[in-house]
Amino acid sequence: MQKILYIEDELLMQNIVDKILTREGYEVQVASDGKTGMQKLTENNFDFDLIITDIMMPYANGFEIISKIRNHTSPKKIPIIVVSTIGNEDAILEAFKLGADDFLKKPIMAGELLIRVKRLAGQ
Amino acid sequence: MDFSYFTDASVAQLLEEFYYSPLIIQIAIFFIFFSVLCILVTYTSILTKRHRGYRLEKKLERINPIIDELILKNIIFNDELNKEVEEGEPANLIPLHDFQKTPFKSAFGKQALINRIISFRKSFKGTIAFYLRQLYIDLELDKQSFNKMKSTKWDKKVVALVELTAMDMSIADVNILPLTNSKNSELRAEARHAYIKLSKNEPFKFFDVVTEPLLMWDQIQLFKIITTTEDIAIPNFARWVTYSTNKSIVSFCLKLIVYYNQVDGIPAVIKLLDTKDHDLRASAINCLGKLKVDEVENKLLDIYGNQTLNCQIEILKAIGRIRSGKSIDFLKYEFLHSSDFDLRKNAARSIISGGTKAQETIQLLLDTATNENLLILKHCMNPLIKF
Amino acid sequence: MWEFITSFYESTIFVYGLMLLIIYAILAILSFIAIASYVKKNKYFDYDAIVSSPLTPGISVIAPAFNEGLTIISNVKSLLTLNYPVFEVIIVNDGSTDETLQLMIAEFSLIVVEFAYNPKIKTQPVKCIYKSTQAAFSKLIVIDKVNGKSKADASNAGVNVAAYNYFLCTDVDCILDKDTLLKLVEPIMKHNKGRVIATGATLRIANSCDFDGTLITRMRPPKSLIPRFQEIEYIRSFVMGKVGWGYINCVSNVSGGLGLFDKDIAIKAGGYDFLSFGEDMDLITRMCRYSVDNKIKYAICYVPITLCWTEGPSTLKTLMRQRTRWARGLAQIVSSHFSLLFNPRYGKIGMIAFPYIFFFELLAPVIEFLGILYFIFLIYFGLINWHFALLLLVFVYSYAVMISTLAILWDQFTFRYYKTWGEVLRLCLTTFLEFFLFHPFIVIFSIRGYLFFLSRKKHSWGNMERRGFNNTTLSTAK
Repeated sequence: MQKILYIEDELLMQNIVDKILTREGYEVQVASDGKTGMQKLTENNFDFDLIITDIMMPYANGFEIISKIRNHTSPKKIPIIVVSTIGNEDAILEAFKLGADDFLKKPIMAGELLIRVKRLAGQ
Repeated sequence: MDFSYFTDASVAQLLEEFYYSPLIIQIAIFFIFFSVLCILVTYTSILTKRHRGYRLEKKLERINPIIDELILKNIIFNDELNKEVEEGEPANLIPLHDFQKTPFKSAFGKQALINRIISFRKSFKGTIAFYLRQLYIDLELDKQSFNKMKSTKWDKKVVALVELTAMDMSIADVNILPLTNSKNSELRAEARHAYIKLSKNEPFKFFDVVTEPLLMWDQIQLFKIITTTEDIAIPNFARWVTYSTNKSIVSFCLKLIVYYNQVDGIPAVIKLLDTKDHDLRASAINCLGKLKVDEVENKLLDIYGNQTLNCQIEILKAIGRIRSGKSIDFLKYEFLHSSDFDLRKNAARSIISGGTKAQETIQLLLDTATNENLLILKHCMNPLIKF
Repeated sequence: MWEFITSFYESTIFVYGLMLLIIYAILAILSFIAIASYVKKNKYFDYDAIVSSPLTPGISVIAPAFNEGLTIISNVKSLLTLNYPVFEVIIVNDGSTDETLQLMIAEFSLIVVEFAYNPKIKTQPVKCIYKSTQAAFSKLIVIDKVNGKSKADASNAGVNVAAYNYFLCTDVDCILDKDTLLKLVEPIMKHNKGRVIATGATLRIANSCDFDGTLITRMRPPKSLIPRFQEIEYIRSFVMGKVGWGYINCVSNVSGGLGLFDKDIAIKAGGYDFLSFGEDMDLITRMCRYSVDNKIKYAICYVPITLCWTEGPSTLKTLMRQRTRWARGLAQIVSSHFSLLFNPRYGKIGMIAFPYIFFFELLAPVIEFLGILYFIFLIYFGLINWHFALLLLVFVYSYAVMISTLAILWDQFTFRYYKTWGEVLRLCLTTFLEFFLFHPFIVIFSIRGYLFFLSRKKHSWGNMERRGFNNTTLSTAK
């Protein structure tokens, strides 16, 4: 089963996306802030098939999370999808520069998210 | 005066004393009682206020997960809904009975439902948002919102407008037009945003009639509405650049021209270079730069000499954006001979943004620069420094 | 003759006192109106729109740091995670003698960059400017400068480097709400009566709050008495005072702990004055003057919610240092801007705000002090009508308690600060003691400050010993 880590501080979004992905057969872990996100990453020894992260979060923002993952020497490259409200061009470019694979701006289409998840994490 | 009708002798005595005291003392005594009373009332208000807030929070904590579950069950995970609808067949129906049961019979429950649906739509668009709107209509929650519009309180009206725009409900022009001229600025602004979003005919009529300046907040809201509403007809914004007398409308339209890359509007923007208002001129130059209009480059160089500082900076930036490489000598001259730091920095930045075309010039400048100029060049070349 | 003097004195004091009471009543009403309308507007205000818009203006967050090694890393991280789409964080290391800079260099992989520093405001020399090589910290700029013996000088260096048109000035040891920038930028976007040149918000005492790293997890009124008095004082002066003044656009000071400023005007007004003891108020006064002189219709707004927590002095000695400095600053400002007083050219600031400062903030401690002396004199000569005197005292006392209690109520309108009703009650009851146990000291410290001002005593900085917020129960594991 594919493992996904979803880091998002907005609880409604977190809960619903979690349920949607779980129903599709993914094993989802959630974190509500950057610090918990980092903890989950290290606890699981970076063993995820996909990370979905927000940008603006307490303790550590999405940029930090992305660069932490990219700086980690794991055998495989974990795909990262950023889901954020930020509409500023610089922020989006920065996310990609740091190594994000995809960027979705909120509000998102659930169907679109699923397709992108499937493409990056596999079925 | 006779106070003897009081049975209690001490009270009578006190009142008598009060009566014969100087005015100051009388006022003081009055205020002592007033203050004590006020303190007691304040305590009770704090208590009730906190209690009410606490109860509301608890109620929402209870009801919101129920709503989430129901929406998941009946909409998001409802496979019936997601089936393809054949041409001519009735659209799929959302099962409503769960939403018509107890917690949602009360006005509070309905309001909680409205708020939650709006929160959902802030996170999700597409099918989910479509069916949530359907749910809102099927449950006749729009009636609750429309009722608020009839309230005499301006803040209720605003809340109604916010709810209705969030749900993309159309409001009849007769209801909304009077509000767009309301004396209350909050209500007026919100009504205008709603009108632009919801009105099917001529949503941009306001651009013709608004005389007061658009605030930064209005611009943010309007920009969001214009760029995200799906079936809005995008006009040629150059129209207002040419005809509007409202400065903020003109500068806002310049931003929209850039966003929609409306090259048809370029002549109107170029004409704006002759305006006396230097803020508008700066915005026009900025717009031309972002559209990378290289035929305007010579004109910008011509007018450069008699511009204000902010326009000169915009011209330097615009040349950097156009990147034709034609004006490199001009940039070099400005960089070396201008007396203003910001001009020199922006000139350097534009030279460097010229990339390979400017490689020679950059090298030459680096080799011959004074300490300060070298610092400016290195500053602009360092990828870590953004500004 | 003697009788004339005493009666003149008494009636002056009477009128003065009465006016003060009336002003407080008016402020209470104004702030109530302002808070009520803020609460209404906030019911539907969509902060997401600010976050998602490409038109949102950028903000430079400036925080000077002097020997903050204990908390610097977590505080910088918390500034970097503020909720806002476009901002930078400028930390000004003001010649720290501890390892503040080294810690930052190590944690954020800083390197020296060749930065074309352009001192629009003159400051002590800047030694180096650092940026992070980690892209995740690209928002961070660290300035290392020669100590200028004042926060003003350090802030000015930050303003010189700032890239955006607005800057937020704070202390590196202040704890900010994560939505601070969104909430402070809101008035700038929405105010429709002129250009907003500065906005501020309520500050609170952090002493007994619980933290998880640098995020407040539980707000509490301070447990020990001295900080708790300050909490009441802050609530009163921000929620009732500044918000009330803000409603009629007569704000005279945006606190140095937290304020968002229009950079252009701040620079043109000359930036912070490094010789001033009240550099925050001095800057606001000069920004107002500049705006009036250049016919800019300006506004200064206050939001009635708490966005910043700061550690208040917990001993009488540190409190004395702080208040003496404030009083000195106030005296300096009044004397250097004396031409504003009742100057109709300067509109509201000349006719309302500045006269209020002069008569009811600067002179109040002096008049109160003289009043007590006079009282003692009367007692000594047996001239006192004890009955009336006590009544008047009870009157003033109950009025003061009422105003403080109202301020606490107003404060609760925007947000349910503190978790339990008991904590609010404890705060409310403390107002009964403030008059006797706290206020007299404030009067004495203020007068001490004025005397220092008059004798031009040499400036001593009085660095507050900080215990650091990290030693709380939920401290982050590093």
